[in-house]
Amino acid sequence: MKKLKVFVVVLAVFMFMGPWAFAAETIKIGVPLAMTGAYAGSGDNYWKGIEMATNEINQSGGLLGKQIEIIRFDSQEFAPEVVMQGADYLCGKMKVTSVHAGWAGWGQDIRAYGKYDAPFFCDDGAMPSVDVYKSNPEKYYNTYFITDTGGDQANSMFDMLTALPYEYPNKKIVIINTDDAWGIEVGDTLSKRFKKIGWKVAKRETVPYGTNEWGPILTKIRRINPAIIHVEIPSSQEVITFFRQFIKQPTNSILSYGWSITPLEVLATMGKDADGIVGEMPAGMPAPIAPDAKAQAWVDKYMDTYKHTIPAGSWIAYTSVMAWADAVKAAGDEYDFKAVNKHLKEVGYDGLQGKIKFGENNTIHAQPAAPIVHYQVQNGQLVALYTDPPIKPYKDYKFQVPRWIK
Amino acid sequence: MVLILSGFYCVMGIMPLFFGNTAYIMNILIMILIWAVVASCWDVIMGFAGIFSFGQVAFYVIGAYASAILSVSLGIPPVFTIIMAGVITGVIGVLVGLPCLKLAGPYVALVTFAVHMTLIPFLRGPLGRAIGSGGSQGILTIPPINLLGFAFSSEQLVPFFYLTLFLTIICTLILALIIKSYWGTAFLALKDSENFATSLGISAFKYKLMVFGITSFITGLFGALYAHYVGMLSTKMLSMDVFTILMIMMVIGGIGKYPGVVVGAVITVTINQLLAPLGMYRPLIMGAIVVVLVLFLRDGVIGLAQKFSPLQQKTG
Amino acid sequence: MVFEIIDVIISGLINGSVYALMAVGLTLVYGVTKAFNFAYGSFYNMGGYFAWMLLIPLGMIGGYFSVFFIAIPVFFVVGYLLEKILVSPLRKYDDWEMKVMMLTLGLSLFMDFGYQAVFGPRIKSLPGMIEGTLELGQVVLFRQDIVIFILSVGGMLCFGWLLNNTRTGMAVQAVAQNPAGAKIVGIPKDFIFAATFAISTIMVGFGGILLCQKNFVDPMGSTNIMIKAWVITAFGGMGSISGSLYAAFILGMLEAFVGWHFGMIYVQIATLTLLLVTLTIRPRGLMGRE
Repeated sequence: MKKLKVFVVVLAVFMFMGPWAFAAETIKIGVPLAMTGAYAGSGDNYWKGIEMATNEINQSGGLLGKQIEIIRFDSQEFAPEVVMQGADYLCGKMKVTSVHAGWAGWGQDIRAYGKYDAPFFCDDGAMPSVDVYKSNPEKYYNTYFITDTGGDQANSMFDMLTALPYEYPNKKIVIINTDDAWGIEVGDTLSKRFKKIGWKVAKRETVPYGTNEWGPILTKIRRINPAIIHVEIPSSQEVITFFRQFIKQPTNSILSYGWSITPLEVLATMGKDADGIVGEMPAGMPAPIAPDAKAQAWVDKYMDTYKHTIPAGSWIAYTSVMAWADAVKAAGDEYDFKAVNKHLKEVGYDGLQGKIKFGENNTIHAQPAAPIVHYQVQNGQLVALYTDPPIKPYKDYKFQVPRWIK
Repeated sequence: MVLILSGFYCVMGIMPLFFGNTAYIMNILIMILIWAVVASCWDVIMGFAGIFSFGQVAFYVIGAYASAILSVSLGIPPVFTIIMAGVITGVIGVLVGLPCLKLAGPYVALVTFAVHMTLIPFLRGPLGRAIGSGGSQGILTIPPINLLGFAFSSEQLVPFFYLTLFLTIICTLILALIIKSYWGTAFLALKDSENFATSLGISAFKYKLMVFGITSFITGLFGALYAHYVGMLSTKMLSMDVFTILMIMMVIGGIGKYPGVVVGAVITVTINQLLAPLGMYRPLIMGAIVVVLVLFLRDGVIGLAQKFSPLQQKTG
Repeated sequence: MVFEIIDVIISGLINGSVYALMAVGLTLVYGVTKAFNFAYGSFYNMGGYFAWMLLIPLGMIGGYFSVFFIAIPVFFVVGYLLEKILVSPLRKYDDWEMKVMMLTLGLSLFMDFGYQAVFGPRIKSLPGMIEGTLELGQVVLFRQDIVIFILSVGGMLCFGWLLNNTRTGMAVQAVAQNPAGAKIVGIPKDFIFAATFAISTIMVGFGGILLCQKNFVDPMGSTNIMIKAWVITAFGGMGSISGSLYAAFILGMLEAFVGWHFGMIYVQIATLTLLLVTLTIRPRGLMGRE
């Protein structure tokens, strides 16, 4: 038993003395992402953008003459104490100079990182996160939302759907969304906006993740025969099975997938079958041809490195690392958080698509330099129809009436 | 047993002197205390009472949600809601226990795990939202525990640590009493030969139900404590990850080898933290550890300690 | 309205056949060896990844035909060895049922994240086994669903027949009902245990291949499969093959009708409430026996 006690003590010492060795002069950044679990796919998208930005900075001589070192943390499925643990590990123990998180939770992340001063970039896209920020903007001043909330994105979706050069045969819409904060926010906003212009929300269905058998819902949809079906499920399996079962016996409906068009697997699996579906990407990169040569060069480099098209999150995660590096350069010291945060907020960053500014609630709202891009699947790839705001057609790409509409 | 436990809590008690300023480590220490009690309750149910319950995480979450909902929706001070949460969980524990304690082995696991799984759609769905669970988003603004004008929360880790330690010691004493008392003996008798013990007048059902109720109460209490500690809750707490980690604590500590499970909690939380930077290799390694331990380390670290110090066998 | 109800019934039947396919291996191995396999969902995914490996990177000729052909011996060996190495050493302990559950829980964690480490965290899609639809008036069916229905129901019936009418099948049943007696009459108990585990691995692997080509290979999907299979076996009665078959179709129908009438969000809660109520009244499930 004595041995056991010694063992416990040794273990405790081992645990606390762990990785405390300081390496050579590097600048540490923290990257807490979902590396395991249901959100690992989206975590991977952010990771690629962050990795690419870091490599670029390091290859061009580093930041303030120092190399950037990435410290990763697996935030799993964002259980509150895991997120808190991540913040304490990255900011408290490893003393990182900034945190690039992508989708990091629905408010617990803001609280966890709000305890520290290192800039925290997240892509929660949910109102509850913004509410936590708003509860104490001074305390959470180091939080940066790199995209709009679900509600704002839904407003943009509404503008796009009503701007389409297409005569809707009736004024009925069916909305299907997930049971999480994101899905409900988008569903609520869309149904409010459509009701306001005299449409009928003929069916509003909230579904849990993992729904793959759509027969009962499609049966009802066929009877309704709506002009628009909006599906908001940020997970590829569900939206692919929905489409396959829908197309078996289609109705004369525009199929709007919102953000759900962006998971890589959706197009990789369906290819040209998906032609006709519309969807959006916040802070996106218009495709298939980028706005200018500089942006196109970035897209080419990305596709060369990772062998697939640009998924949601990669570009804006890349941009936020670059924006932070720019602010550090201006501040001259990576640990001068006050100056870094001030620069970020006041000066913004000259991104690939133009000057990006953080707006109300420290959010990169949709803006010309980081637009919400609305796509249609044409010939098996995403083709940008509109950028927003202001909502305007992108280059010469034209909306095509889906083949299933007679 | 008393020596290990008192040694453990003494060591824990002085930890904040060294690490009081390191939030990262204080956090781990608090979680170790909380998990140690929750895992101990499970060990008492499974290892001593021989009830094959898979509902431990469910009771933990019920306690957490009960206290959060009571304090957020009804505005009751958390000091009271924590105790109410314990009582609610205890009552639910008894209610779950009533039908399933008459069953044998794996069927208890079935019923209790069914409770666990029913909680997820219940709390996420419209029914949960109606009672204030916040649906899939969860509850984000759980107030800190106010005691004598002082707020205990994750903002101030050292005071919270000592509050947790205090509760932990009380609950550990209760569990130790159960094990050492007449009940513990009754359980061992029941485990050895249920028929014989019953013929002596030991009512398996009554004792099992009592233990189920008490451990559920303690589990719910610590679930509530956790809720007020992190200040937010979601159904993610019911994921298999949490379930498995709790189970690993028992496997490492040795089932029915109390207080091995306390040591198991320390080791598991530590390994889990050390492996966190490895991403997907963390659960992979954890899984492999379980397989190897179940196969080769029958009684967990306690068994190991006994093996290498044969003189100490009595105290294990 | 009539067509709508027919549609819903068809959905229920499809659900049911899918669930039957998921559950049969689990209930078999529990019925015979009393070992509850928590890594069941990971074996299911093994089927999916196995087919993916053969069809996509290796470009196997012969398509699914050769996949199934190779799968039988491979899965049998995998299942047999796992039982011999991991499960059977535990049988000598008196709390081995608990130990098996814990061990397989660890194994499932290991396998699931092993898949992620090897194949990456993203889902994989398999080419369809049969494409196209069958139109019967207003009712349109996927050929794929018909194949799955026939295979799962036919497979289960056929398996039940084998158990009752062949020497090996009867030996398996004898071991299930009375291990000690079976040993006395000279049935090699250990071999039967390992073989049953191996057969259930083949069944769940086949289920994995069939369902992954309908949906996807999802490295994190195994928990859901495990829980679904678990609900069905618990509902139908652990160890009862016919019970599982009934349970699969009852739950499939329930899901379809609840989803259609009340909404998808109520499906899970309806299923689990039914399970809880059933277990409270009949702890051994619909067709479970002592």
